[in-house]
Amino acid sequence: MARSQDISSAPPRPAVYHILLALAGADRHGLGIADQIERASEGAVELGPGTLYRSLAEMAEARLIRPVPAPGREADPRRKYYGITSVGRDLLARETARLGRLVERARAQGVLAEQE
Amino acid sequence: MRPRLVEWHGRVFRGLLLLYPPWFRRTHGEEMTLLFMTRLERTAGWLGRTALWGRTLRDAATNAAALRREDAQGGGLRMDTLLQDTRYAARRLLRAPVFTLGAVALLAIGIGANTTVFTVVDALILRPPPWADPERVVHVYQDSDDGEPSSNSFPATRDMATYGDVFSAVAATTPSTASWGGPDGPEPVATEYTTSSYMSVLGLDVQRGRWFAPEDDVVGGPPVAVVSAAAWRTRLGGDPDVVGRTIRLNGQPVTIIGVGPERLTSTVTPLLTDFWLSISATVLSGPFQVANLERREDHWYQALARLQPGVTVEQSQAAMDALAARLAEAYPELNRGRDITVFSSRDVRQHPQGDGNVFLAGGLLSAIALTVLLVACANLANLLLVRGLGRSGEMAVRSALGAPKGRVARLFLLESLLLAGVGGLAGLILTRWALSALPALPIADVIGGTLELTVDTRVTMFALGLVTLTGVLFGLAPAVRSARTDVSRALRDDRRGASSDRGTVRLRSMLVAVQVAASLVLVLGTGLLARSLAALQTVDTGVDVERVAFVRVDWTRAGLGVEEARAAMDELRDRMEALPGVERVALASRLPAQRSGTTTTEVEGYTPPAGTSAVELPFATVTDGYFEAMGVPLVAGRLFGPDDGPGDGVSILVSEATARRFWGEADPIGRRMRGQGSEAWTRTVVGVVGDAPVGGIGEGAVPMFYFSSRQAQGTPSYLIARTGGDPAAILEPMRRELGAWRPSVTVSAQGTLASHFGASLATPRLAARGMVAFSLLALLLAGLGIYTVVSFTVARRSSELGIRIALGAERSGVVRMVVREVAAIVGVGLGVGVLVSALAASRVSGLLFGVAALDPLTFLGAVTVLLTVAGVAAWVPARRAARADPVEALRAS
Repeated sequence: MARSQDISSAPPRPAVYHILLALAGADRHGLGIADQIERASEGAVELGPGTLYRSLAEMAEARLIRPVPAPGREADPRRKYYGITSVGRDLLARETARLGRLVERARAQGVLAEQE
Repeated sequence: MRPRLVEWHGRVFRGLLLLYPPWFRRTHGEEMTLLFMTRLERTAGWLGRTALWGRTLRDAATNAAALRREDAQGGGLRMDTLLQDTRYAARRLLRAPVFTLGAVALLAIGIGANTTVFTVVDALILRPPPWADPERVVHVYQDSDDGEPSSNSFPATRDMATYGDVFSAVAATTPSTASWGGPDGPEPVATEYTTSSYMSVLGLDVQRGRWFAPEDDVVGGPPVAVVSAAAWRTRLGGDPDVVGRTIRLNGQPVTIIGVGPERLTSTVTPLLTDFWLSISATVLSGPFQVANLERREDHWYQALARLQPGVTVEQSQAAMDALAARLAEAYPELNRGRDITVFSSRDVRQHPQGDGNVFLAGGLLSAIALTVLLVACANLANLLLVRGLGRSGEMAVRSALGAPKGRVARLFLLESLLLAGVGGLAGLILTRWALSALPALPIADVIGGTLELTVDTRVTMFALGLVTLTGVLFGLAPAVRSARTDVSRALRDDRRGASSDRGTVRLRSMLVAVQVAASLVLVLGTGLLARSLAALQTVDTGVDVERVAFVRVDWTRAGLGVEEARAAMDELRDRMEALPGVERVALASRLPAQRSGTTTTEVEGYTPPAGTSAVELPFATVTDGYFEAMGVPLVAGRLFGPDDGPGDGVSILVSEATARRFWGEADPIGRRMRGQGSEAWTRTVVGVVGDAPVGGIGEGAVPMFYFSSRQAQGTPSYLIARTGGDPAAILEPMRRELGAWRPSVTVSAQGTLASHFGASLATPRLAARGMVAFSLLALLLAGLGIYTVVSFTVARRSSELGIRIALGAERSGVVRMVVREVAAIVGVGLGVGVLVSALAASRVSGLLFGVAALDPLTFLGAVTVLLTVAGVAAWVPARRAARADPVEALRAS
C-alpha cells in the first residue's frame, strides 16, 4: 500500500525519526512522545498535534510502532501508549547510521572547527 | 490565563479538529486537544499564544489536507482491508448456499423486472431522439376541429416552409402501412411518407445512398424509398447492394435509394419505421391519399421544423400565429379560429394529445415494478436481520477484539452489496430473456408498432444504480443494528440477548407490514384489472360476435374502374353467399372496434362546442347486407337499398349514439349533414341503426355514421360473412373461392370477429396478465416474510412455549397466541395497504371498465387473499412450535 511504503522507506520524515527516537527508550503515549522530543531537541522541535498523531497513525499501520497496554496502574486509561517494533528499530538504526555518516563528513570538512 | 479564556481556546481547537477526517478525529481528537492545551498552558503572553496558534493552524491545515487526500485515494476504505472484507463476505455467503441462492433469486427477479420495465419506458418516454441538437427541432400542429393541437394539411406544411426567417427547414411526415412482398409472402411493414427536407430538419444523413431530393416531393416522379437501418438488417439481410434494388410495396415496384441513419425511429417515436417513402410514392396508398396532398380540409401530416440559429420557440410561435391569421383570411370556412401551435421537441414524445396516456402507462408500470422490488428488499432485509442476529455473537467477538464498529457494519453492507451485485447480474440476464420473449406478447397490438428494445449502456447503468440502491437499502438496517449491538450483552447471552432486542423486533415487524401493504396494493390492482377485463369480455357489443368471419382483401392489383368495381362487389357477394354455411355476405371499409378514418362534418341545426365549427365523425362505407351480416338492428327508418343510387344526394345511416348526441329525442330521419367546406347539405339520414363498437370495446357510445357503397367510389376492403356455425371454419373456403374468382384480388388478413374483438382487448389483457405475475410474486414474497418472522419468534420463545405446554396449556392455545401476534402486524400492513390502494385507485379509475375504483367487493377479496396467505404462512411454523416436546424445549434453553 502506498502509504506504508512512504513512511517506512528511508530516509523517513523528520517527525517519524523523532518519534522512533523518543520511543527507543520507553513506551510512551502521544503527549509523552511530544514532551520527549521537545526535551531531546532542546526545545527546537515541536511537533504539532496534527503532525504527531497523523504520523503515529501511519507508523502504526506501517508496523513501525504498535499500540501497547498502559504500563502503570496510575496511567490515564484514555491515553493510548505506543511501543517501537523491530521494524521501527531497524529503520531507526539505519537512519541514525546515515545521519552519523553525514555528521562525519561535515566534521571532516571542518564545518565545526570555528565552534570548537 | 483566566479559566474562561482557556475554555474558549479549547473550544476553538476542537472546532479546528473538524478539518480532519472523522475516523482520525474520533481516534486521536481527545489526545490532540490535550496536547494543545498543555502547550497553551506552558505558553506565556498573548504574543506567544498567537505564535502557538499560528503553528497549530498550519499544522492542522497541512495534516488534515494530507489525511483527507490519502483517504480519497482509497485510504479511507483501506483497499487492503476492503479486499479482505469482500473475500470474507463472499466466503460467508458461499457457506450458506440456500440463503444466498434465495437472496440472489429474489433480487434477480426484483431487479430484472425493473430493468425490463425501464427498457420499455426508456424507449417509449425517456430516451432522447438521435437527432442532432434535438432542442432546436420543433413540432408544429394545426388545431383539430375540437381546438386542440392535432396535425396539419399538406398544403399548410408547405406554407410553414415559407417562413425561412424562423425555420431553416420544415418537413412533413405521415405514418402509414404497406404490404411488402418479402421472400416469405406478403408482410405488413411500417412506412412513413416524408419530404426531402426531413434529414435537414433532423440534422442526420443516410448511411448509404441518398435521401429524397426536392423532385421526389411531387407526385408524378418514380416512387422511391429509404430503408431504415433496422429493416435493412432484418428484412433485407443487410444486402450491401441494396441501393438501386427494387422492392414491391402494395404490389407496386419501389426503388430503394438509400439506407437510413442508425437508431432513427419513426417521428412517432419510438416505433420503428421499416421504409421511408417519398411524397412521389403516395400513389402506393391510392388516389385518396394523393388527393389529400392538395386538400386543406384533410389534416394527415405531422410537421417538424428546425429553428434558424438564434431563433427561439416563442419567435417561431409568433410567425405561426401570423400564418394562422393568413390562412383564416384565405380560407375562412376551413381555418377561422384554427390556431397553429409550436412545441419544443423536448415537450413532445409522440403527440401532445397522446403523451399523457403514454406517461400514465409508463409511470404505472414503473410503480408496479418498484413495488415488487420494495417487497423483495423488505424481505431480504428481514432475512439478513435474522442472519445478523444469529451472527451477533460472532460480530460481538470481532468488536471485542478491536474491530471498529464501522468495520463490522461494513461487513454487513459488503455482504448485501455483493448479493445485490450478483442479483443484478442475474437480473440483467433475466431482462435479456424477457426482452426476447416480449415480441411473443401482443405488445405490438397495444402500442401500434414495434419498439427497438436492447440492453444498452443506459439500461446497464440503470441496473447498476438499482444494485447500489437495493444493496444499501436492505443492507443498511442490519448494518446499523450490528453497529449498535451491545457487545458485552451479546457475548454474555449469545443468541437470545440480541434477538430479544425490542428495536430489532419492531424493525422486523415493520418490514413485514410493508410487504403486506405493498402486496395488497398489487393484489387489489390485479383484482380491479381482472374485473374490468371480464366486464369488457362479456360486454354487449351490439353485434353478433360469435357468428361473423372476415377476410381483408387487397383490390389494388385488380385495377377496377368505378362501375366495374360495383359489379365485381355484387358478383363476389353472390359467390360467397353460395358457399355452404354462409348466410349473409357484405363488404365494409372497416371493422367494428378498429381505429380508422374520420371525416370533418357539419350537422344541420347542431351547434358544436364553442370555438369549433364542425365535428370529427368516424364513418364506414358498407354494401347492402352489412347490418344483417353483423347482426346490428335497424332502429328507425330504412337500411340501404337500390334507391340509394348515384346522384346529387347521399343517403346515410347513423348510429343511435349519433342520433342522441345531435338531435336528442327528436326524429333523426330526414336530418342533413355535410362535409366541411361543402356548400350544400348533401347527406341525408335515412335510418338509424344500433350502436356497434367504433374505436374499441368498452369506450362507451361513440357517434358514427355509414355511407352506402352504391354512392361511394372504391372497393371496401373487409369481406364480412355471417355463418350458421363456427365462423373460423368458413375462412379457408372463402380464401379458395376468392382465389378461384380473381387471382389478382389477394388476402391481406383474415379472422373471426371474436378474435378481432379479443385482439382489441390486447391492452387490458396484457395489463391484467402482467399484474397477475407481479402480484403473485409479491404475495409469495410477503408469505415468505411472514413465515420467517413467525419461525423466528417461535424459536426465540421456545422455552417459554415449552413451559406453557408443560404447565398444561392447550397446544391449540399456543398456536393461537403466536398467530395473534402476527395478526397485529398483518393488520397494520393491511390498513396501510387499503389506504394507499384507495388513494392510488382513484387516480387510475379512467383505466377501469365496469368496476368502480373503490369497488368494495374487490377490496374485500384482496384483503381475504392476503389474510389467507398470511394465515398459512403463520400457521405452519406456529403449529410446529406447538408440537415441540416441552422437555426438549426447556433443555435446549
